[in-house]
Amino acid sequence: MMEQDHAQLTEPSYQVMEQAAEWFALLRSGEATAAQQLAWQQWLQASVEHQRAWFYVERIGQRFEPIQVSPVRSAAVSAFCQVQNQQARRRQVLRGLLVLSGSSLLGWAGWQQTTQFRLPMADYHTATGEIRMLALQDGTHVWLNALSAVNEQYQPHQRQLTLVSGEMLVQTAPDPSRQFIVTTPYGQLRALGTRFSVRLEDHHVLVAVYDGAVEIQTAWHGTTQIIPAGSQARFTDERIFSAEPADPAREAWSRGILIAQDIPLTELITELRRYYSGHLSLSPDAAELRVFGSYPVTDIEQTLSMLESVLPIQIQVPFPGWKRIRLKRST
Amino acid sequence: MVKGSGQTAQGCIEYLYADHHGWLKAWLLRRLGNSSDAADLTQDVFVRLILRPAPKGLNSSGEARAYLRRMANGMCIDLWRRRSLEQAWLESLAHQPEALMPSAEQQVMVLQALQEIDQLLLSLPAKAASAFVMAVGCEMSDREVAEELGISTRMVRKHVARVMLHCMQLEARHLAADPGILRVGS
Repeated sequence: MMEQDHAQLTEPSYQVMEQAAEWFALLRSGEATAAQQLAWQQWLQASVEHQRAWFYVERIGQRFEPIQVSPVRSAAVSAFCQVQNQQARRRQVLRGLLVLSGSSLLGWAGWQQTTQFRLPMADYHTATGEIRMLALQDGTHVWLNALSAVNEQYQPHQRQLTLVSGEMLVQTAPDPSRQFIVTTPYGQLRALGTRFSVRLEDHHVLVAVYDGAVEIQTAWHGTTQIIPAGSQARFTDERIFSAEPADPAREAWSRGILIAQDIPLTELITELRRYYSGHLSLSPDAAELRVFGSYPVTDIEQTLSMLESVLPIQIQVPFPGWKRIRLKRST
Repeated sequence: MVKGSGQTAQGCIEYLYADHHGWLKAWLLRRLGNSSDAADLTQDVFVRLILRPAPKGLNSSGEARAYLRRMANGMCIDLWRRRSLEQAWLESLAHQPEALMPSAEQQVMVLQALQEIDQLLLSLPAKAASAFVMAVGCEMSDREVAEELGISTRMVRKHVARVMLHCMQLEARHLAADPGILRVGS
């Protein structure tokens, strides 16, 4: 049915291509009903443009034929997925590393390393409990939170930092000739004269703006939005969630202070773990206690004793390096 | 020295080659740790530059090196990507029962198909690409893919549709650039 004459026709619209892709996803899912199959046939017959779009679906499908007919196709697909996984984890690092001039860190052996080497391989990184201030060549200041890593790619036409993991607070220096970009796996940020923090979490990025403004552009959909001072927003590679007032805690850590404003204890402890190299455990019955106040994160002993004085908890030390927080037994 | 933008592309290439060939090869050698790979990629960089000259011309030695280094970076990444895919495929094959082992020629065909698909899916998130390749390559149902990747069937459906759309658009662009392919392909 897909004839060459179709090539002479104009390209299908984006909407029609999208419909074809959705039909494909449904028909191959193993869940399409007979009625849906019929509906697809009607869709296909309805216009030449639809047929033209389906022609592309078929061409893409053909590329998979050598794999589909192979008796070891699952081995092929698992090899592909394995590499995808590794590379998703390494993508950020590699991009940064390759621009380090004069460095031969990354031979084939380096490539084979696992993600545990991720932090030390970045341009700048911090260990557990370490907060570091970087003064970059253009006068920009970056505070790197504990267990974070960033790569610097300054070029004649633009200044770029890549957040590989963790969190940073950036205070940009003005430079009218070079824009300031922060890239993350989920999208990029363009600073519009500014002080802001960027935090990379498992499935999204949190941006909080304290001065100036920042433009978010998501990696997948390219959606853009400007976040003004005093606001923060989360985004994934496909969408930007609605902005909310900026959390002062996302800035305070740069001064070594963690601000808790009515958060569950479990959240505070999760945060504290970034600053404590031992093991910090929290019993479930104490997890939901509400916490207020400012805590000196780099002084774990001080922070825990402050918590102990305001909350009905007790801290046990089963052995050095393990601090266990539990609800205080009533006497 | 690299001459100004008044120079023809051809002349430019000659100067570029003479001035920077050795430097680029040494630079690549440091990165790749293998002199034959470094030599191959150095050639590839210049061949690509002949086919597609730098859009704004290269007006100083520093500019030329920055441009060459950027190209070479991209090509290192491609090379590593191809190598790691090949490596993973060979390892995966090694675990297959002897009886199923495909012929050398079939092995190469599968690897080539994987590498082509990898190129197509280059800019996509890993989960989406994996879901698509499992679904289409292994003809797995949404439920099977969902179990394998630990995501919902709804997400699988969404990934498959959006990856397919992405591929279709690349394919359309590709065909628009070279309509002759169609005569052979269909």
